[in-house]
Amino acid sequence: MKIVVAIKQVPERDAQVRIDAAAKWIDETGLQYALNESDAYALEEALQLKEKHGGEVIVVSAGPERVGTTIREALAKGADRAIAIDCNDLGARDALGVAKLLAAAIKPENPDLVLTGLQSEDLGLGQTGVIVAELLGLPHATLILHVEKTEAGLRVKRELEEGWFQTIELPTPAALTIQSGGNKLRYATLMGIKRAKTKEVRQLAAADLGVDSAPVVLLEQVTLPRKQKSTQILPGTAKEAAAALVEKLKFEARVL
Amino acid sequence: MIPLLPTLAEPQHFSLGEKLLFAGLVVASAAAFWRRFGLVLDKILKSRKDPGFRLFPLGKRIWDFVWEVAAQAKVIRERPLPGLAHAFVFWAFCAFALVTLNHCAVAFGIGFLDPSGQFGRLYYDFAAVFAVACAAGILGLFVRRFFIRPKWLGEKLSTQSGVIALLIFVLMATYLASFFVSNAGPAALALWWLHTLALLIFLPLIPHTKHLHLVLSPATVFLSRGSFAQIPPLSGDEDFGLVAGTDLTRLVSLQAYSCVECGRCTEHCPAANTGKLLNPKEIILGLRAYLNDLGPASDQPLLGKYNAQEAVFQCTTCGACEYQCPVGIEHVPILVGLRRGAVNTGSWADGHGTRLFLALEHGSNALGMSAAERDKFIEKQALPLFDGTQEYCLWLGCMGGYDPKGREIVAAFARVMNYLGTSYGVLRKEKCTGDPVRRLGNDLAFQQLAEANLEALAQNKVNKIVSICPHCVRTIQEDWKEYGTPPEIEHHSEFLARYADKLPSEGGGGFNPRIKPTAGEGALAPVVRSSPGAPAVFHPVQEKIVFHDPCYLGRYRNVYEEPRKVAALAGELIEAPRSHERSFCCGAGGGLAFLGEETGERVSHNRAQELVATGARTIAAACPFCNTMFRDALAATGEGAPELLDIAQLAARGLPQS
Amino acid sequence: MSSVLVVMEQRAGRIARIGWEALAAGQRMGSQLGLPVSAAIVGAQTESLAAEIATRPIDKVVCVEHPLLAHYTADGFTLALQQLIQTKTPAYVVLPHTYQVRDYAPALAARLGQVLIGDVVAIADGPVFTRQLLQGRLNGNYRHSGSGPCFVSVQAGAFRAEIPETGARPAEMIPFAPTIEPNQIRTTPGEPFRGSAQTVDLGSAQLIVSVGRGIKEAENIPLVQDLAKALGAELAASRPICDNCWLPLERQVGSSGQTVSPKLYLAVGISGAIQHLVGMKGSQCVVAINKDPDAPIFEVADYGIVGDLFEVIPALTEAVKAARQ
Repeated sequence: MKIVVAIKQVPERDAQVRIDAAAKWIDETGLQYALNESDAYALEEALQLKEKHGGEVIVVSAGPERVGTTIREALAKGADRAIAIDCNDLGARDALGVAKLLAAAIKPENPDLVLTGLQSEDLGLGQTGVIVAELLGLPHATLILHVEKTEAGLRVKRELEEGWFQTIELPTPAALTIQSGGNKLRYATLMGIKRAKTKEVRQLAAADLGVDSAPVVLLEQVTLPRKQKSTQILPGTAKEAAAALVEKLKFEARVL
Repeated sequence: MIPLLPTLAEPQHFSLGEKLLFAGLVVASAAAFWRRFGLVLDKILKSRKDPGFRLFPLGKRIWDFVWEVAAQAKVIRERPLPGLAHAFVFWAFCAFALVTLNHCAVAFGIGFLDPSGQFGRLYYDFAAVFAVACAAGILGLFVRRFFIRPKWLGEKLSTQSGVIALLIFVLMATYLASFFVSNAGPAALALWWLHTLALLIFLPLIPHTKHLHLVLSPATVFLSRGSFAQIPPLSGDEDFGLVAGTDLTRLVSLQAYSCVECGRCTEHCPAANTGKLLNPKEIILGLRAYLNDLGPASDQPLLGKYNAQEAVFQCTTCGACEYQCPVGIEHVPILVGLRRGAVNTGSWADGHGTRLFLALEHGSNALGMSAAERDKFIEKQALPLFDGTQEYCLWLGCMGGYDPKGREIVAAFARVMNYLGTSYGVLRKEKCTGDPVRRLGNDLAFQQLAEANLEALAQNKVNKIVSICPHCVRTIQEDWKEYGTPPEIEHHSEFLARYADKLPSEGGGGFNPRIKPTAGEGALAPVVRSSPGAPAVFHPVQEKIVFHDPCYLGRYRNVYEEPRKVAALAGELIEAPRSHERSFCCGAGGGLAFLGEETGERVSHNRAQELVATGARTIAAACPFCNTMFRDALAATGEGAPELLDIAQLAARGLPQS
Repeated sequence: MSSVLVVMEQRAGRIARIGWEALAAGQRMGSQLGLPVSAAIVGAQTESLAAEIATRPIDKVVCVEHPLLAHYTADGFTLALQQLIQTKTPAYVVLPHTYQVRDYAPALAARLGQVLIGDVVAIADGPVFTRQLLQGRLNGNYRHSGSGPCFVSVQAGAFRAEIPETGARPAEMIPFAPTIEPNQIRTTPGEPFRGSAQTVDLGSAQLIVSVGRGIKEAENIPLVQDLAKALGAELAASRPICDNCWLPLERQVGSSGQTVSPKLYLAVGISGAIQHLVGMKGSQCVVAINKDPDAPIFEVADYGIVGDLFEVIPALTEAVKAARQ
């Protein structure tokens, strides 16, 4: 099975959020970066499929030079080779623009399966995988926890709301977006890192991919949310506090 | 000079036939010895060289040799009676060097130690004293092994031990008997041949049994790695730790062949004592069996048939095994080496372990918490930030930064430092020192953490660090050396001990007035303050405090008295049965605090019960991991459990309220 | 003609609550921008649902019907809505941000050269759409540019569904039959199913009620079980509870037990020792109920009630039951 995994390098979870001078994004000085969490699960799924059915796992990622570290990490975990799309204005492109870059790089590979994480930890759009599928003309499914190879193609387990699940059958080639938590991730090992040194990383320039980048949707401004994370102690009698809590859970936290 | 004994009888004449027979037997015996010993030596020398091994400076090596080998100090101190018996046997062997040489020379008529000469007489009497001691000793050891049968010597009775004991006894008996026969008679000759046979049978048996330690252990002790529990660096791109035979180094092979199977390591092992699979003796013997079967050039995995992976990951790296070993085996680097082999190659697939590694791949701490939590704590506690001008950097560590109890220790220590007027600050950002991943054998994660931290410390211009956690202290001072030059660091017990006389004392400190207990109160009334800011007044009966020596402070750092000095500020110190270098681990070390549930009895419960049984009112800890382990264990004890406090909290208790 | 088109979603034969919220958002936009509001419902037989939608004060309800739309598929819905939008040319397409919408709407938008502005929590004049970035630590204001419909999906709970007016005349119901060939539907969905009832899978639970030593005795656990049942939540516990065998080991949350990351974690009578915290710190929303105001659990809680759990829990169970009706 030839599997392409599209991965994204995102700011570390612990990153301090400070708005930059132009108020268009966060100040990136001193930020540490990491592999997007659901992309790690997508990579894990791909590696497990390769271990079971043989084949090749190729990671592709777009971004500035620092993306190289994340690509090497993916190679250390077991990917066979990588495609790095050098792009310094990722933030100025919308989801369609980014997906066009990825699709252009993936298309010549003709993979059996394209995997992406469900959504990124920074923008959280959750669309790139679906758009890539659309651009490549592939059938797709999202929120996938488990992938099985069948005679006819694939059988996947999809997560639905409120604790329900669904099995979907689809032919290959196909695209899937992978939900976190479906597998146990593997850690990067010293052996993996050493082996990664000799694996191919093909460099592509965004400009060479012949993709127009005029965005339809623009992120105009970022602001800090008014409510910072602090504990709200609900006062009153047991009954009053309970009622207040349910109200908060329903409309403020929106978890009920 | 009054002779102690009659003159030693020496056969006067050997026929040519006898000489030839003797010579033939010597050659045969030596050949049999070499056949096996040469093979062992070959395996040791064919093992790969130890990276980073430095023979110099010789000072410590010579001292260890004199103290541990010649004086048999460790052998005696840790198991007094059997140790002394063994020491006698060993010293007798040393004393007999000349005797044995002369014994052989006599057959060819070139004896040099005349039994009737003044020096000869002296020497033979001198050796006789040792012979008696040795015979008594070997008899006692025989009875111990075959009749008393202590648990740590193992279930199976060792035939080879019996045979060797017999031979040694015969050697001593024939020697002593020779004082009471005449030179001329057949008895002297018979004794001579009996002694010779015993010798020549003994010689080839040495390399075939654990008595190989006779030859090897002096070298093993001399050629130690240089410091306690020292983890060697990896060398080159293909070194991932101890994966297969080809990874075994000369030191490891030498140590594997030196094992005397005494079981002292296992006797003190927290895992072995609580029903786990891990048995340090068996780990070493497993390596020896591997070398015997497959040799140092094999690519068969070390873990699997010869040692179980599960056992290797039950080790807390407490070091009790290595500390106890009388022949210089260094268990900790071996166990960590085996772990490295499993983790660096990804063949260890433990859920909790993976979670720890993933948390440290991108996060800043081993607990997987957000760094913002630590920022909140610093703000809430109003800890000063390190700006390069203060004298000390107070290192919080993962427990000090994120664990509620660890934070209490930091808060208490900060209070004491404020009282003392110490200039200190905490770093804005800390990454885990990497202790758990280092001990679990994940060199990739450790390298990343060590390098990032060293850079951050240099950038922040940190010169001196004080830490509440012995694991942080050890890792920063020793393990980070592999990647740079760490700043000076000390544990807070060392710091506090220096200033102990400046701190108010609850125990016997003269300037506190005392009050009588009010009616109805027990013998241990709580501290009472008449008003905030007033000096503390204490009940005249001092509470008993038992101090638990943390492994990484005691055995690893040799710090035993400083924390006691600090704890004594708050009460009367009593000792647990296993204390100082024999302190029993709390179970958290070796990364185990981050792994899943233990099998068998919980190590922390075992130790907690021991501490509770001392009757102390307070258990004093000096490590946040010990603290967290005992807190759980004491909670299971229920009501009436002693209070658990860090020495910083004990020191802070006497301070005036701010 | 320029309008706001709201795509409704059905669940188990009824309009999903979030569908009403999307409609409310659409209505707000319509009045802000002076545009008529229509709703669309997609399926094989949509009449009764459409009739219900039609009671709302909107312009039209479009019944997008085709036999191949009986079960949701990305291909089917994308094709159907693509054709609808190309025919009706709305200026804005508002959708509820559900798993289903996340599955097809990005492809639908891309097919029309557009990009979905998803999971919107506020709509200001402009229109400027606000969504959350960096997992809620940052807000971003988005604007749509160029011609072509603007696709927006709204977050659950962000826009309160308005109470329907009574006596309003029903909206016009219009049928729309898209052209879909069977070979255009490339995926075969199976029947939804629940996770295995026997094994406890806390790791994927969305709602968890966790009980600690504050519960005092095993006999009191049913109190917490009732709350869990009312919430539709899984029951979990801290280590001492499992050590005492009051609950089975697989319900233990903590460093030596399960790691959980639910939407809601309700810690009842749990002090918040580090071993427990590391198991549940990934929870989206943490509620702590404890009688000790200094319990460390409050440091990580979003909401807390300092009180006697034996009073608070029954009150909470009642309040939850009432809210669920």
